[in-house]
Amino acid sequence: MSGILVEGLGKRFGERTAVEGLTFHVRPGEVFGLLGPNGAGKTTTVRMLTGLLRPSEGEASVWGHRVDRDGEALRKVVGLLTEQPGLYDRLTARENLRFFMKLHELDEAQAWPRAMHYLERFGLGGREAEPVGGFSKGMRQKLAIVRTLVHDPRVIFLDEPTSGLDPESARTVRDSVAELASEGRTIVLCSHNLAEVERLCERVAVVKRRLLAMGPVKELRRAGHALDVRVEGEAERFRNVLVSLPFAPNVLAEGARLRVMLADEAHAPEVVACLVGAGARVHSAVPAQRPLEEVYLELLREGRG
Amino acid sequence: MAFRPRRALAVFWKDFLDLRKNVGLLVSMAVLPTVMVLVPIGVVWSYVRTPNHADLRSVALFYDPTLPLGASAARFLIDKTLTDWFGMFLVMPVFVPILVASQSVAGEKERRTLEPLLASPVTAAELVTGKSLAALVPAVAITWVAFVFFCVGVDIVAWPLVKMPLMPDALWTFGVFVIAPLFAFFGNGVAVLISARVSEARMAQQLAALVVLPIVGMVGGQVAGFLKAGLGYYALQGAVVLVLDAILLWASIRLLDRERLVSRWG
Repeated sequence: MSGILVEGLGKRFGERTAVEGLTFHVRPGEVFGLLGPNGAGKTTTVRMLTGLLRPSEGEASVWGHRVDRDGEALRKVVGLLTEQPGLYDRLTARENLRFFMKLHELDEAQAWPRAMHYLERFGLGGREAEPVGGFSKGMRQKLAIVRTLVHDPRVIFLDEPTSGLDPESARTVRDSVAELASEGRTIVLCSHNLAEVERLCERVAVVKRRLLAMGPVKELRRAGHALDVRVEGEAERFRNVLVSLPFAPNVLAEGARLRVMLADEAHAPEVVACLVGAGARVHSAVPAQRPLEEVYLELLREGRG
Repeated sequence: MAFRPRRALAVFWKDFLDLRKNVGLLVSMAVLPTVMVLVPIGVVWSYVRTPNHADLRSVALFYDPTLPLGASAARFLIDKTLTDWFGMFLVMPVFVPILVASQSVAGEKERRTLEPLLASPVTAAELVTGKSLAALVPAVAITWVAFVFFCVGVDIVAWPLVKMPLMPDALWTFGVFVIAPLFAFFGNGVAVLISARVSEARMAQQLAALVVLPIVGMVGGQVAGFLKAGLGYYALQGAVVLVLDAILLWASIRLLDRERLVSRWG
């Protein structure tokens, strides 16, 4: 089975439990966010899924390879961008990439055009003969990304991929991630940059040793059954109309926007009808969304308890 | 998991390339052979310069009270120096791999390059082989090149007294081509083992370098007259080191297990 399948995965280091009971599935072509504070077990999870650590409990397979017994085959289909670029400073960019081509037993004549494509794309074209020790932090990060992709992996784990990059380069990386996913690759993104996660990931998992929440970003961001309605003019005029409704006990008005807390989202059409009946010109009515950061912090607070 | 020589050679290629560009390490590696070659040449030259000095006979009689009256004390001491110095010469094939292997294993941890490396398909056995080759090849090559300079130097300075080439003799030839590589393997094994346990290359070097102390101690015993060196003596040392090499190889492959390395990063 392609993609990533995780079932009750856990890891203990002696007495200390780093991860327990993780269960999730990532589809081919999906960008999946793995969120959590420092020490939450994200890196341990990624290390288990890339065959660097053996799980203490549970099962996981990556692109059809069991992580506990198919290590070598698994590492052939996986690309890992670690938090630190981990490049050889005395070697040139070309030599760094060649080393990983050799480790993956690639035909360099075939692998080079792909490497050059990414080097050009990340603005490193023409710099491949320079020692990496002279590269800036951003250039090193970009080269590490190229190294991650050099063997054409089917599953890619990216730990803070835009760390240290200028906005333009960060955008190039984000575009590349989306492009790689569109080619059917599975991508797991670990990041503290929630705006980036929001932009790139369809679904996220929030972990803190165990799974705190998982689902599509839009669903996680939904603020209960609240509805955001944008009207023409001052929204305050229509607040009293809505408060009188039995299923909308709480209504907030701010500028042209009304946030209506509903007992059930099935009442949304009635809210709109009521507003129109009261003479409002309704521009939009959408399920209310909270910033991912707010959701994330709330989950962590709950997880602490 | 099948052993893929191509991947082991990739590790060797990378480490060797890195070594070639590490000027500081190259200088460190060059100092020891220079000393190992120049010191005995200087000692032989001092005997040749004053072959009839009365004190030379006293020293020679200390080592061999049965030395015939007509025998040249200088020649005896030259032969004794050359035989004993081989023990010292063995420090070189032990020490050079320690310098290289400590950098290449503990250095990977220090530079945070080990995790991407371990995330590739390379196996522990391939990693140990590649890294060991990268330490052994320079060590053995340096030993052999130093041996050539040593032979030429000794023969040049000894010629006025002995009128014949002294080197290479059977002991040195056997020692340099058979025993020295075994000692190099030993130094490498110790360095790999220690590097897998500690996080800094310098600490790995310092700890691994302690293994030269017994070698120096044995040479001290020879100079003090407690031990009598010869082909059999060095062959016995080589046999002991061969057994140690096998143990170290097994332990190195076990210790370079991904799980152990990754979970010990701290």
